[in-house]
Amino acid sequence: MENTNTQAIWQKSKNGLWALIVLLGAFIGWQVYADNMDGYEIAILFGVALGTIWLGWFWKSFQTLAYFVATFSLLAIWIYQLNGNLYAANENAFFLKYLVSSQAAIMWMGVLVIFATFTYFFGLFKQSEFVYKTSTFLAWTAAMFGFIGMMVRWYESYLVNVDYGHIPVSSLYEVFILFIVMTILMYLYYEQKFKTRAMGGFVMLVMTASVLFVMWYIFDRQAHEIQPLIPALQSWWMKIHVPANFVGYGGFSIAAMVGVATLIRLSLEKRRPQSRLLNALPSVNLMDDIMYRAIAIGFAFFTIATVLGAMWAAEAWGGYWSWDPKETWALIVWLNYAAWLHVRMTKGWRGAPMAWWAFIGLFVTSFAFLGVNMFLSGLHSYGEL
Amino acid sequence: MSKTTRTTQTARKSPVWLEFLGSMNLAITLLVMLSIASVVGTVLQQNQAFQNYILKFGPFWHQVYNSLGLYDVYSAGWFMLVLLFLLISTGVCVTRHTPIFIKDMRQFSETLSLNALKHQPNHASFSSTDNLHTSQQRALTTLKHKGFRTRVHQREDGSVTIAGLKGHWNRLGYFFTHISIIVICIGALMDSNLYLKLNEWRGDLVPETRSVPLNQVDKRAWLSSDNFSYRGTVNITEGQNADVLFLPYDEGYLVQQLPFRIEVKEFRLHYYDNGMPKSYESDILLFADELAEPIAKTIEVNHPLYYKNYAIYQSSFGDGGSLLNLKVHPLMAPIANSSVIESAVNRTESLNTPAGKFRVEFSDFKLHNIVPNSDEEREKTGHKMHNNGPSILFKVRNEQGQAWEYENYMIANQQEGRWFFMSGVRNSMAEPFRYLFIPADANRSKTRFFEFLALVNNAPLAERIIRNAYPRPDGMEEKAYETHIVLFKQLITLFRQAGFDGISQFIQTNVPEQEQATVAEFYFSQLANAMQTLYLHILEQENAILDNEGNISAENQIWFEDALTSIASLHRYGPPMFFELETFKQIQSTGLQITKSPGKDVVYFGSALLIMGVFFMFYVRQRRVWIHLNTTGTGTDITVAAKDNKKLPETEAEFNQFVAKLKA
Repeated sequence: MENTNTQAIWQKSKNGLWALIVLLGAFIGWQVYADNMDGYEIAILFGVALGTIWLGWFWKSFQTLAYFVATFSLLAIWIYQLNGNLYAANENAFFLKYLVSSQAAIMWMGVLVIFATFTYFFGLFKQSEFVYKTSTFLAWTAAMFGFIGMMVRWYESYLVNVDYGHIPVSSLYEVFILFIVMTILMYLYYEQKFKTRAMGGFVMLVMTASVLFVMWYIFDRQAHEIQPLIPALQSWWMKIHVPANFVGYGGFSIAAMVGVATLIRLSLEKRRPQSRLLNALPSVNLMDDIMYRAIAIGFAFFTIATVLGAMWAAEAWGGYWSWDPKETWALIVWLNYAAWLHVRMTKGWRGAPMAWWAFIGLFVTSFAFLGVNMFLSGLHSYGEL
Repeated sequence: MSKTTRTTQTARKSPVWLEFLGSMNLAITLLVMLSIASVVGTVLQQNQAFQNYILKFGPFWHQVYNSLGLYDVYSAGWFMLVLLFLLISTGVCVTRHTPIFIKDMRQFSETLSLNALKHQPNHASFSSTDNLHTSQQRALTTLKHKGFRTRVHQREDGSVTIAGLKGHWNRLGYFFTHISIIVICIGALMDSNLYLKLNEWRGDLVPETRSVPLNQVDKRAWLSSDNFSYRGTVNITEGQNADVLFLPYDEGYLVQQLPFRIEVKEFRLHYYDNGMPKSYESDILLFADELAEPIAKTIEVNHPLYYKNYAIYQSSFGDGGSLLNLKVHPLMAPIANSSVIESAVNRTESLNTPAGKFRVEFSDFKLHNIVPNSDEEREKTGHKMHNNGPSILFKVRNEQGQAWEYENYMIANQQEGRWFFMSGVRNSMAEPFRYLFIPADANRSKTRFFEFLALVNNAPLAERIIRNAYPRPDGMEEKAYETHIVLFKQLITLFRQAGFDGISQFIQTNVPEQEQATVAEFYFSQLANAMQTLYLHILEQENAILDNEGNISAENQIWFEDALTSIASLHRYGPPMFFELETFKQIQSTGLQITKSPGKDVVYFGSALLIMGVFFMFYVRQRRVWIHLNTTGTGTDITVAAKDNKKLPETEAEFNQFVAKLKA
């Protein structure tokens, strides 16, 4: 009894400290950068602070991650300030050059994601707890480095040229990093909540594919170079519209890959009931539940993102809906998952058809995310390949 | 969009057609149809000129696609019909489920029998030593603590059932999401062009398809200022004003009268240091009868001006008729004298020249031409982009109607370390520009080039200079010398008329094949001698300094080669004139988009409903608990049952925890 009581007090003070530090951080940020922010941006800053406090309370591990991200990011900023110049700093400061400059951190993220994919699958086939734990650690570290990469890039964009400075969610390259970090974190939450690491490899496959794309994008197209914002993107709306969208994409990707795991399990049950892999994979019911949760959160945030997008469009382009290809594909994605949810909720479909549908949904989503930029032109053509 | 819950089965049987309209299958079918139509609308470029479609698909498929309305999917009749059916389907679904859901939200089902409780998904029974009253109090407190609303039912046999209900907002989620779809569609309908379509169908409205001044626009293409909803654009030149909008409609446009007048004082375009546009801004004044003072505001992208229920956006920009002062250099004349034209963008000038009559149409002026640097340049300068400076775009048309389009740059630009004046030419819009590179002289001007060109054109003078430079050698016969001079003259003329290719072609047609190589070598060396001689004459006139050995400097040598390349391509440059932009006064115009969108707030309201509804539906669980208490001799028998409308893995754990709490 004594013990649990101390634990509760310890947890409470940790939560209190968390809230205090986040608020303090937001306050300092506001004090330092108030000149660059308009009223909306200050509101967003404190809104995000409150949201972050809630997220840290809701999901304790996020606190740890945030402390690491903040420490490394501040360290990077400090080193930049010591060196004064972006290029000199990247050349001279070893720590910056090889670990926490945005490019270095993103490279680390890429490497760790690929490692994590292998170890997750290795853990699945060997059913080794040790390997599994290593994978989880790798995934957390990957998310951490990606997160640091984004934070530091934000600062670097102002170093390149004060005029260029912006939150790194504007180009296709930047949102890919956002997508990877967001999806890994969402996955890690489910992993923790449902106490199974069996689906890690599957989800990480999509992350590996994204990392390979990002690598190609860097080395072939120099997409990592920081570019200034075109006039249409210079708005506080971007700070909320884009991240909301990527919670959506993240949820849909997780659902699709859990769907793949479900289909493999169903097929094994039918064809090779003796397979050892059957013991390693969670039950169809559990995976079905995760699939539903991932789609539900994705759908909710995708709805918000689309509505925010419409409001932004009304301010930037003069109409809340223009049947622009990106808008239209967002609608198609939305309709697709709306239908998925209806069928599940009212017709009670489960198992293989829903898993197939979630998997196919990934292609619809990918087209909305990538294909529209590649094949169709319209108002949203920011990240053309 | 119907919900098949257990309760609906007991509901009254509806007519078959109503069943159909409210059925899930219809709803899903409509959603899929909407998706497919949307895909078509993004894959097939919408609202293009018909010619493009005919070129792309051929006349037959063009007919088919056009009659299906595929070129404007989102306002096609069948698309509207799908939307309408979706509205009806949703509407039927909502009306049918409202009574059931409201009942479900309110009812506690406290009269359920003990037997029924034992058939609930979660149930447990145990005995307590406390009496019924204490147990009941404890149960109520626990439920309240857990956030349940409760109702107590006293049974005739002395037992008590407490029914708890929590999260009834989950049901509201259903209403919010479904009603929001209807609200959003109504808002969108308010802003659609349905009303215009109706007027067009009645014949009151005819879109204008001609490009004519405003006062000649067909009266039936005008819309009065009390029009309910619109979104259109207007281009206003700096210093000018406008009180109308143009709405694109079918193959033409409509003119919308505005209840106010907008004056544009200035338009500004700012650039980043890499040449990308940073901002577009217009200083505007809004005049309206009800305003004593006009409203002054600077609008830019993302920062429109809101006035009443109108919004005024910065949308595009262009040239508003910049004033141009030009020099026209004749390219075939034997002396370098140019004439002057004063004109402006969007104006047409007539030119009477020895080479014929021409019309010159000035179509655009650009102050900056920012282009990416090549890799070497990037390494040298550290900049990704450079500015090629002002340029004009214009067409020259001869009397037969044949036209050449030109793009001339005002200042010299560096190419591989040398400075050139660039001029692009093409015969049709479909071609890329072919560029003429006129080498700049030491003063970064074209003077030397035109002097040199005039000399090349001036056959008598050229002949005299060559005779001076190459007097007849003593041993040479008079006739042979004259033949040589004629060859010089012919080579120069041929070169001037058809370039190096012309000489090659001449050799190919007039010289036996086995001698061609030797002759070509001889001819080109003679041409080079002749040109060099003429060039030296120009340099002498300029007093250009030769080095100790009497050679010209390396720069001048390179200039000469560049000039020859340039002259060699003049025969493909079109009419023999070069337009040099001397000075200009830029006048810009700004493209404003103005909207009146009464449906916007309706759509936003619907969207807010939708978001709330989605969260209620996914994250509020409707949960019921029943606690049945029955007195026994020694205490109370307690039966607990629970039902969660969404069975989750944690449901059972929560139930067990709840029971444990009751036992404690």
